[in-house]
Amino acid sequence: MTLRNNTALALVAGGLFGLQGAAVSAADLEFYFPVGVNAPAVETIQALTDEWAAANPQHNVKAVYAGNYEETTTKALTAAAAGDPPQVAVLLAIDIFTLIEEGAVLPISDIADSPEEQEWLAGFYDGFMNDTKFDGKIYSVPFQRSTPVFYYNKDAFREAGLDPEAPPKTWAEMIEMGKTLTKRDANGNVTQWGTRIPTLGLGGAWLFGGLVVSKGDVLSTETGTEARINTPATIASLEFLQQLSAEGVMAPGGISWGDTPKAFLEGQTASMWTSTGNLAFVNENATFDWGVGFLPGGDGPGAPVGGGNFYIFSNTTPEEQEAALDFIKFMTSADAAARWSIATGYVAPRPDTWETPVMKEYAERLPQALVALDQLPHAEREFATFQRAKVTQYLVEAIEGVVTGSKSAADAVTEAQEKADAVLKDYR
Amino acid sequence: MNKRLPLGLGFVLLVLPCSLLVAFTHYPAIKALVNSLWNNSSSFRPSRFVGLENYRALLEDDRLAQVLTNSTIYAICTVPLAIGLSIGMALLVNSKLPGTWLMRLSFFMPTMLPLVAVANIWLFFYAPGIGLASQILSAFGLPSINFLGRTDTSLVSMMVVAIWKEAGLFMIFYLAALQSIPANLKDAARLEGAGSVRVFFDVVLPLLRPTTIFVAVNALINAFRLVDHIIVMTRGGPNNSSALLLYYVYEVTFGHRDFAYGATLTVLMVVILGILAAFQFWVLNRKAHYQ
Amino acid sequence: MNKPADTSFGNATAAVSLEVRNLRKSWGKTEVLSDVSFRIGAGGFLTLLGPSGCGKSTLLRLISGLDETSGGQILIDGRDVSKVSAADRNLGMVFQNYALFPHLTIEENIGYGLKIRKVDKTRRDKTIARVSDLMGLGPLLQRKPSQLSGGQQQRVALARVLVSERPLVLMDEPLSNLDAKLRTEIRSEIRSLNKTLGITVIYVTHDQSEALSMSDEVVLLNAGKIAQWGTPRDLYESPANTFSASFIGTPPTNLLEPADVALPENLGLDGGTALTDYLIGVRPETMCFPADGAAFTLTGRVLSLEYEGNVTLLHLEAASGAKVIVAHGGHDVPAPGAEVTVGWSHEATHFFSKKDGAAIRRKT
Repeated sequence: MTLRNNTALALVAGGLFGLQGAAVSAADLEFYFPVGVNAPAVETIQALTDEWAAANPQHNVKAVYAGNYEETTTKALTAAAAGDPPQVAVLLAIDIFTLIEEGAVLPISDIADSPEEQEWLAGFYDGFMNDTKFDGKIYSVPFQRSTPVFYYNKDAFREAGLDPEAPPKTWAEMIEMGKTLTKRDANGNVTQWGTRIPTLGLGGAWLFGGLVVSKGDVLSTETGTEARINTPATIASLEFLQQLSAEGVMAPGGISWGDTPKAFLEGQTASMWTSTGNLAFVNENATFDWGVGFLPGGDGPGAPVGGGNFYIFSNTTPEEQEAALDFIKFMTSADAAARWSIATGYVAPRPDTWETPVMKEYAERLPQALVALDQLPHAEREFATFQRAKVTQYLVEAIEGVVTGSKSAADAVTEAQEKADAVLKDYR
Repeated sequence: MNKRLPLGLGFVLLVLPCSLLVAFTHYPAIKALVNSLWNNSSSFRPSRFVGLENYRALLEDDRLAQVLTNSTIYAICTVPLAIGLSIGMALLVNSKLPGTWLMRLSFFMPTMLPLVAVANIWLFFYAPGIGLASQILSAFGLPSINFLGRTDTSLVSMMVVAIWKEAGLFMIFYLAALQSIPANLKDAARLEGAGSVRVFFDVVLPLLRPTTIFVAVNALINAFRLVDHIIVMTRGGPNNSSALLLYYVYEVTFGHRDFAYGATLTVLMVVILGILAAFQFWVLNRKAHYQ
Repeated sequence: MNKPADTSFGNATAAVSLEVRNLRKSWGKTEVLSDVSFRIGAGGFLTLLGPSGCGKSTLLRLISGLDETSGGQILIDGRDVSKVSAADRNLGMVFQNYALFPHLTIEENIGYGLKIRKVDKTRRDKTIARVSDLMGLGPLLQRKPSQLSGGQQQRVALARVLVSERPLVLMDEPLSNLDAKLRTEIRSEIRSLNKTLGITVIYVTHDQSEALSMSDEVVLLNAGKIAQWGTPRDLYESPANTFSASFIGTPPTNLLEPADVALPENLGLDGGTALTDYLIGVRPETMCFPADGAAFTLTGRVLSLEYEGNVTLLHLEAASGAKVIVAHGGHDVPAPGAEVTVGWSHEATHFFSKKDGAAIRRKT
């Protein structure tokens, strides 16, 4: 490894020049990470970081919890602009274009240039790799990846006379079963909805991507310059959301991401569409028999992938880049990834992780965790373009406008598409 | 002060506050103005002087139009309601009823909490189906309302949070003012035949006017300044129905990383606040004293 | 007062009498007024006098109706008003620091009561004009209270009461914030308003000279009880007890042990009265020096002198060590340290029971 050689060289050089530099560290790493789930994530990250540091005493590493995804990106970019970037950070996979535009990150495929390293890069699930690439290069390494799945209350299914082992597979089934699952009190007020798909904000936009995928389309492509908001698939997806409310299967109006797991646990809804990142939370708090299935689809199964990847920042020394790569390899190694996955519910990004004994035992204990993995071949990249935040805002406005009844589906997507094109034309 | 400071010392003493003022107030404001005349550059787009192009974009920004409308409604509603509520609470707490210390404490509590914490409490309160608001509604046999998920209720829900958070602090100001009103003024009015309502409107309320102006200035500033609850609770949604000006500035600047347009919006906000401040100083100078 | 006598006060309600019967007031367990009874006839001027904390302001507030009584009755013109609200007792009140509304002009302050009672504007303006004329406030009507001097503010407070044409007016130490000269001036204005307008006035003060000079009758209060009720002359000349004797008069009445005094043969007291049962009260200004064959004499050493213009106060120390003050009008002032004998007449002598301080009546 070049890094070790460099260290040795430095030691030799130090000795030659009479510099008795005890414990010379080859690299000082600063590692920014966000937390986006209800789980003891900070402790796990810290423990893993400490283990790597213990195994690599020549390096220093400082793990910095930097808030949620958005705050972490802002902090990392601000630090980079000030000339003091973190060497390595976990940031949203979809921030790839923003980070590239700001010149903040390096292609990892250029740093991991040995054949073994290339092989290591090839060892991740394809479903998680398709949003790491730009211009033929890999810019990030999957780490805390998630995908939404369909959580359902088996007791509620039984009560409604439905087969608890056969969750809905299609939109039509979702509506039919949802009608049976919706319960009303004496006043006609709903006490249990059929399902709950978050439609507000970024969470809503993420899930919406899954609806579009299930209609055989995508919202964006690897180029980062194309937003496909006005397509038959998006209109059909918006109409599905409208229909859910119109048929009384889902609460009318916008549905928030944050309240959703709680509503499911409290029996306010018989099923919900949310991230695998909530598996651990639901498992700990559910007082009923629950199951997980593929997201019901339009023409077939479909889901978005989301979550955070490792990035290596530019304006760093080769020693730091090598150390950062080593750190990333450790964090995504089978053992570390298994612990991270079990602690949080994130989907381990490499097949080898799923072969470890702890992971096998975990999958046996919580078979719901395997559903996301099985769904992965049907998953597509999350909406990502240049000027992601701005363009996504147009998509969010379109979805929110439709579900709150202030816009028709066709008008909403037309308007959003025009705005997105106006922003993206600079990049084509 | 008869002794005059030596000129040199005076100069030295002035340097520190002036440099702080320049570094943290004037320089950023001028920098924002300069930035608003350039494009948002990146490694893909070279830096370019665009003149007033960003300002023209303001005029065409229908999202900005909605945000300004929201901010106006928000200010027009929260300021008088917070004032009214805080006067009411102060009167209640200032009365001779038993348990006023408990009321004082509970009314003041929201003020001590950070707005982010307040927002999280209300997030739970508003949660449809599971939140307290829904449970109260369902106790009366009413359907639960998706307060934060509807375009017609989200802004009002934000106002309620702001008023709840602010009224406690304003109550303290009013309480102090109420206690400084000489009791014999109220006695004099009562002897002339004024009932308690009349005493309140003829004597108490006019004497609270300096406090009211002070509170109104603060409430108005806060209406533009405090957006933490928007960030926590709705992120301006759904469909921009609860977005306020400062939230928009924040989102454009740090979310969209469009520093040029963010600077333009900042300049707009500085102008609006400047006009408001000038208006308030004018009112303060004219109305706050009984001279 | 600018032109008092000829300003008829129109059809002001006829003056009323006030009677207080067995009035009590307690705050929680503390009784601040106990068993207070007195009466003042229509058009009279009655002063509630006493040291601070004696309950005189509380008593005034009970009469006004601003506070509720704990027992007893208040009768205005024979009608019991103790359960009637302040506004319906048909009385006015002047407060210690005037209680002018700072946000209203002088005109609005004076006319506030009329406005509340919905007196129509023409009549209101006329009444305000008349009263402000009477009180010399004409040029000040458009000003705010803060632009007026203390004396002017006091006149506004009086005007505000007068304009309501109330037959009974309560005044709570209305002069205490004014300087001495102004105080004397307004004192006579108030007195003259009382007489010319026929208003019944209940006046609270801790200043005995105000009480004595203005009142028809004085109620002297001590610790929530009436110490003495009578005319100013009664209070001065026939103090009912040692409190009354020592409160009224400046310097206060000397209270002497009979052992310090050379007594005449016949004191006019009951035969069984022993020397140790009573005190002798004598006012400094009724003592003469030299004694010149006076009925009562006392010998003491001059400790110090206080020159006050019309009199010189001699501070004496009797043989027993008791301190005595003599107001000496003559020019032949003894030197400090000198042994002097002072004397006084039978008429100047008061006897008080040592047991309860009450005055002992002499057989005549």
